[in-house]
Amino acid sequence: MPKVSIDGIEVEVRKESTILEAARKAGIWIPALCNNPVIPNLATCRLCLVELDRGGRKQLVTSCNYPVRGDTVVSVSSERARRARRGVMELLLARAPESEELKELASRMGVDGTPYPTVTEAQRNCILCGLCIRVCEEVIGCSAIGFAGRGVDRSVTTPFRLASEDCIACGACAVVCPVGTIQIRIHEDTGEAEISPFKSRAKLLVCEECGKRMVTEPVAFQVNDRVKIDWEKFRKLARLCPECRRKKAAESVAMVALKKED
Amino acid sequence: MKRTNIDESILSPHISSPAELEVLSEKIRKLKAPSTKTVRVCGGPGCTAKGSLEIYALFIKAAEKLPEDIKIDNKCVGCHGLCERGPIVIIGSGDANGEIFYQQVEEPDVAEIFRETVLGGRIVERLLYEDSTTGKKVKSSEEIPFYKTQERIALTQNGIIDPTSINDYIAVGGYSALVKALTTMNPEDIIDEVIKSELRGRGGGGFPTGRKWRSCRDAEGDQKYVICNGDEGDPGAFMDRAVMEGNPHSIIEGMVIGAYAIGASQGFIYVRNEYPLSVERLGAAIEQARETGFLGRNIMESSFSFDIRINRGGGAFVCGESTALMASLEGRVGEPRAKYVHTVEHGLHDQPTNLNNVETWANIPSIINKGGEWFSSIGTEGSKGTKVFCLVGKIKNTGLVEIPMGMTLRQIIYDIGGGVKNDKAFKAVQTGGPSGGCIPEQFLDTPVGFDELTRLGSMMGSGGMIVMDEDTCMVNIAKYFLNFLKGESCGKCTPCREGIPQMLHILERITKGEGEDDDLEKLEVLGTLLSEASLCALGKTAANPVLSTIKYFRKEYEEHIYHQRCPAKECRGLFFYEILPEACKGCGICLKNCPVDAISGEKKEPHLIDQEICTKCGICFEKCPFGAIEKV
Repeated sequence: MPKVSIDGIEVEVRKESTILEAARKAGIWIPALCNNPVIPNLATCRLCLVELDRGGRKQLVTSCNYPVRGDTVVSVSSERARRARRGVMELLLARAPESEELKELASRMGVDGTPYPTVTEAQRNCILCGLCIRVCEEVIGCSAIGFAGRGVDRSVTTPFRLASEDCIACGACAVVCPVGTIQIRIHEDTGEAEISPFKSRAKLLVCEECGKRMVTEPVAFQVNDRVKIDWEKFRKLARLCPECRRKKAAESVAMVALKKED
Repeated sequence: MKRTNIDESILSPHISSPAELEVLSEKIRKLKAPSTKTVRVCGGPGCTAKGSLEIYALFIKAAEKLPEDIKIDNKCVGCHGLCERGPIVIIGSGDANGEIFYQQVEEPDVAEIFRETVLGGRIVERLLYEDSTTGKKVKSSEEIPFYKTQERIALTQNGIIDPTSINDYIAVGGYSALVKALTTMNPEDIIDEVIKSELRGRGGGGFPTGRKWRSCRDAEGDQKYVICNGDEGDPGAFMDRAVMEGNPHSIIEGMVIGAYAIGASQGFIYVRNEYPLSVERLGAAIEQARETGFLGRNIMESSFSFDIRINRGGGAFVCGESTALMASLEGRVGEPRAKYVHTVEHGLHDQPTNLNNVETWANIPSIINKGGEWFSSIGTEGSKGTKVFCLVGKIKNTGLVEIPMGMTLRQIIYDIGGGVKNDKAFKAVQTGGPSGGCIPEQFLDTPVGFDELTRLGSMMGSGGMIVMDEDTCMVNIAKYFLNFLKGESCGKCTPCREGIPQMLHILERITKGEGEDDDLEKLEVLGTLLSEASLCALGKTAANPVLSTIKYFRKEYEEHIYHQRCPAKECRGLFFYEILPEACKGCGICLKNCPVDAISGEKKEPHLIDQEICTKCGICFEKCPFGAIEKV
């Protein structure tokens, strides 16, 4: 197994592991935003830059996708690597000034604000990492969102910026969003979930017992499609929220036990 | 347009040995020899824009009226290079008189050229090139300073052969390298020869071509690909276009040799759709190569099969980046990816892929024919062979040139290019396309080579060369290129997407006279970040125009920032317009045209501009017939 030396700490990792994985093994923190185990190899945010030492020839690489193939020497704390990560963070802060998640990460990195003004009217508070798009396409299989525009005017959006018919309001995009820009909003009045800012809405299944909201109907449909079970049967199963279902199960077990005692 | 008078029906399909090719080549040459006169009209982009196709049509019409026994070979050929003097027509007399080079030919001249030169063998003096230093008219292109010091490898047959005819290419020795490679060399020999030539990628990267081929050959994969990158997108650059339109077979020949050496069975030529003629010419050439057996199944009756497909690019500049190009070929959005895993191992469809630029491929046939040693005998220590450049901007001889590596920038600009237009003072030359750097006067004696240009903060790039004179504001020029790159950044990675607009924002302020004390420092910090942190070469080099101009023209930036002055008088608002009283005739034209009534004065008396009201729009400057308005 190749050895990776990170800021002097040596760890052995599997060949083709990333430097970021090695750093985690070594207990060294490297900030990263677009890195998600579900969607590997994005390397768009550029926050995880480290300095690679190739026998004296030093080079900045993104640790999240640089594969370890042989013994590797890396510096996370070098002046050059820190300066680059700081620079990237400052640019991101100018793009997404209101993200609490981003500010928190910035302060952990020792970056307290950005010297740069806002230079685009395109999507604010989104770092355009693309995780949401990839998860929607590759994991959920819906491709409800995508990039529109290019360069600094790029944005993540639905076709024609209208509520997408392909969106099942599963919320996976909101889960992977590293800066909290994508949100799931529950509309109590209509019993719908909305994925903001994409305007897509879907009805939520309601627990027949306690009235608690569960997954959206299209998600339940899609699950049904995937595991190929009888919809009516599934519907019966999905009548109750997990909690009520557990309660019911416990009740029936207790009933059986009581009957036995009788 | 079809050529006339020469029998085209001599193609003998499926060449399978050197002897067969030699016989065919001989046959084609005989048909035209020796008394056949040739008329070669330049069909390059520059000459075409000046109406050369109409001129060509007139020559064909004239030839049609001749009796059967007089044969004239009319051809519309690829770019000759001296675009400044287009349309260019070259008459080959077929006898000892050699060739006659006519420049700036217009439609009415055709009848005279035909009567006097083609039929009569006399020279039309007024259409000859006049050497401005000696004042003498010269007859052939070899005597013109522009051509004298050039050395042509990639462009050898450009301007000589008809690019729509495989016969023409074969007649000048075309496909002999392919036949040699397939019948006398094994793949390893070919790669050795290319390594020996020390040819480096001509698209900008400068990676050693032979080593790339070897890595791709050694990589494991069921299917291997070769790609020709014809996505030329630098403003003002048309090197690859000239080859694709002027000699498409040289690219195909290079690619077949490369594919054989690497073990690829499928090739792609990626051409931008804005080059419709390139697409057409390459398409026709591929068809002809298939008919002759140089492409397709069992090439030259060997076990080697290879074919080429053309893919048209939608015009995104970033698609010239190899990984973005491959994404585009796969039908995805053309965005680059990290190259930590090389494309020679995992490229198109995750298979080993070898991508080279048009000019690189076009160099291959000569290397195979003449040997790697011959090629490496030309050039400098680190850069061998020749390089094609597009000389544009404020230069006398705009055009396409091919020079041996190691020639100095001064030789290119002054000896070949004829110096700065209107004899203004030279200020800088930008090499390497939009993300190249601007090189000032004091480095003009630098020999041209990959490493030499990189050391100056610029790069070889694909071969753009933009000359700037004293009237060019270097801050403004940096802004121009950055604006281009802002529009072409794909937006995938943070530094390029956010950093370029931030830099542009600062430059815009500076050129408006709103620069701040720490602007230069900010620009340098951002520029360094871009070069270190960006995902692909577009972002990594995007700051070059800014960083190089700050390095070499810092004073000019400081004048803008601290004194709100534009020394080149290009940035609006950072200089004044004034009327020279001694030159002003009091005609009143400026007064009438001034949109804000800032000009006053009696008729026939010198006028005056009220600087308080003047918006510096420059209309008076343009309208004054006496040159009495001055920028100060």
